[in-house]
Amino acid sequence: MIDLCMRNNYKEHFIIENRIEELPALAEKIEQLAEHWEFQPDLTMKINLVLEEAVSNIIYYAFDDDEIHKIEISIIKESNILTIEIIDDGIPFDPASQKQPDISLPAEERPVGGLGIFLISKIMNTVKYSRNNNLNILTLTKKI
Amino acid sequence: MKVYKEKIDKFSVLNISGRIDINNYSVFEEEVNRLFNDGETNIIINCSGLNYISSSGLRVFLIAQKRSISLNGNLYLCNMQPVIKEIFTISGFTSIFKILDTLEQVLTVSNNKSG
Repeated sequence: MIDLCMRNNYKEHFIIENRIEELPALAEKIEQLAEHWEFQPDLTMKINLVLEEAVSNIIYYAFDDDEIHKIEISIIKESNILTIEIIDDGIPFDPASQKQPDISLPAEERPVGGLGIFLISKIMNTVKYSRNNNLNILTLTKKI
Repeated sequence: MKVYKEKIDKFSVLNISGRIDINNYSVFEEEVNRLFNDGETNIIINCSGLNYISSSGLRVFLIAQKRSISLNGNLYLCNMQPVIKEIFTISGFTSIFKILDTLEQVLTVSNNKSG
């Protein structure tokens, strides 16, 4: 595991395969990192939530073949800004352009699903998508 | 995630602890479905030990509430940790669920209603 730990700058990099079974191990690594970087438990929970939503979305929807694909996740803390970057080589998909659910609807009318990307956009301060050659690059930042 | 079921007064109480995530939400969903399938309409989900939820878990809660409403049932949630409550708030779920601070409050409120 690469660990470039400086005074106030922290960076960690993970690579997982496009299998949903990879997620518990990723969550555990984030827990360890959060302890090391002295995150509040609430922040750790939210970061894990954001990663689960973003990565599971990629695993379920980004690939139209049965090949194994790598998904790269970088987490960077620079003073009070946390940046998460997720890179995959799936089909182009911009989560930032998705329609937001109407959360004012009563239970009977609320559609089931569609909350994942919405949660990411509410928890993080910025959500930026770019396409570089054959790569989707999702960059999320949060003030901490 | 651990799920422990008990009966308190007229309520079936589902005590959940740990994580509800994309890898295990179906276990929680099965437990909730079993209650409804057994004809239970007064249900409390006690979230005191719940420390992680993602959209896959929220989805199960929403389905449960839809089913409860269609049966004219009573579904209460209680003992939510602040960060879980925050996720419910962000999702607009605090306005579609009856969420109380403690299990005792649920029992008091429901007794007052029936009395």
